[in-house]
Amino acid sequence: MNPQLEELAFQYALDQLNPSERAAFEARLDHDAALAEWVRELQDAVDRYVRELPRHEPPPGLLARIEARIGHPEVRRNPRSPALWSVVARWGIAAVIAVGVGIIAVQSLRQAPLSAGHSLMVVGLEPHQSTLAELPLLTRPQNADARFIQLASLAEQYWEKPEDLPFKMASSGQGGRGYALFDPASNQGFIAVRHLPAVGEGKRYHLWIVDSASGQVREAGVLPVTDPASGLYFFTVAPIEGARPGKFGFFVTAEDVSVANPDQPRGKVVLGNKTI
Amino acid sequence: MPSPPKNAAVIEEACLLARMGVGDREAFRELYSRYSAPLFSLAVRMVGDFGQAEELVQDTFLKIWRNAASFDPRRSRPFTWAVTITRRTCIDHLRKRRHNPVSTSLVPEEDLPREFSSVETVRRSAENSEDNELLRGALAEVPANQRQVLELVLFSEMTQSEIAEHLERPVGTVKSWIRRGLLELRKTLTESPP
Repeated sequence: MNPQLEELAFQYALDQLNPSERAAFEARLDHDAALAEWVRELQDAVDRYVRELPRHEPPPGLLARIEARIGHPEVRRNPRSPALWSVVARWGIAAVIAVGVGIIAVQSLRQAPLSAGHSLMVVGLEPHQSTLAELPLLTRPQNADARFIQLASLAEQYWEKPEDLPFKMASSGQGGRGYALFDPASNQGFIAVRHLPAVGEGKRYHLWIVDSASGQVREAGVLPVTDPASGLYFFTVAPIEGARPGKFGFFVTAEDVSVANPDQPRGKVVLGNKTI
Repeated sequence: MPSPPKNAAVIEEACLLARMGVGDREAFRELYSRYSAPLFSLAVRMVGDFGQAEELVQDTFLKIWRNAASFDPRRSRPFTWAVTITRRTCIDHLRKRRHNPVSTSLVPEEDLPREFSSVETVRRSAENSEDNELLRGALAEVPANQRQVLELVLFSEMTQSEIAEHLERPVGTVKSWIRRGLLELRKTLTESPP
């Protein structure tokens, strides 16, 4: 690393750059993974310095005073609301940037079912049709973070290059299309949709996961409402007891907004199929 | 090879910020429970006064709440972002205080709250060998001169030129100490994970 760049990294980590210098340096960070990692390490050092300061507890009641200043009535929304999904997905994309592309290795898909710890599920979603594939991981993640990053990495790869999907998707067509990528070991995943028609008035799109062996269904979240709906989103689901790896399916329904948290799908299936 | 995030807390806290971005007050309370003590401690260190630190931490958390949706995980970890907001809030306050010093008040000096200028606060802490809490852990490995400039650049409102002037050293020397101090700290932390 050249000395000038190194000096900028120090100044950035210490928040000493002016706004224009900071913007220019951040543009550089976007294309230099090694520099970004170096900066992250310096920031970590500053964080630890702060955490090791003599500890003082804030006075009781401070939280209440802050909340009073926030002012407006409490807003409780679905924790899997669209904005959350997109932001968390952005985190996933950031993780991809942090580790570089291509850390996940995918073998041939025509193999025997694998245990949950070694595979991801990918489900192609088209109107009235689902296509299931299981992706063995050649690289075994060492912890939950690494596993999440691999999941996000693959989701981002498919988003950028749909031709890499393990099955052929319709290149166009009425009703949109998409795919769900799911990690049975952590019960989290990503769903990508493209050109999903605008949902009707009084409706919203819900994503569901189904264990085709037991028939159990879980709601995985509400899809963002855009026209047409396209995007890559993160989701988590409650574990399905007794579910067997490799037997999950996904589908999207249009549900009435009057039902805040439906526990079962009642609306029309718009993507995928309840059965695999 | 770049490494993945070091622990699940980073993911959790990024998710808390994401939830706050859509108005989730519960997520705000959870983040407050995690960050309030270190951020309050940071503010106390910077302004040297508990009452002012409390006001500044209030402002800080309001900014965190209002800007949560714009948090960009590509740029920093959530805690780094929160520390930056806290430092900037305190620095703004200290610079205003510098231009409106307490000593101009007509209130008798003995009635004033006990305050120190940030430079004095930081220097006293950095130079006080009896302040063992400061010297614990990784910080103890950083040489005193490097630790002093790190403290000043992180916890005072001074620019690096002002630090150089204050210490009567060339700016290049101060920057060199800062670099070496941060590298030493990073090295120590790498050898002793949290």
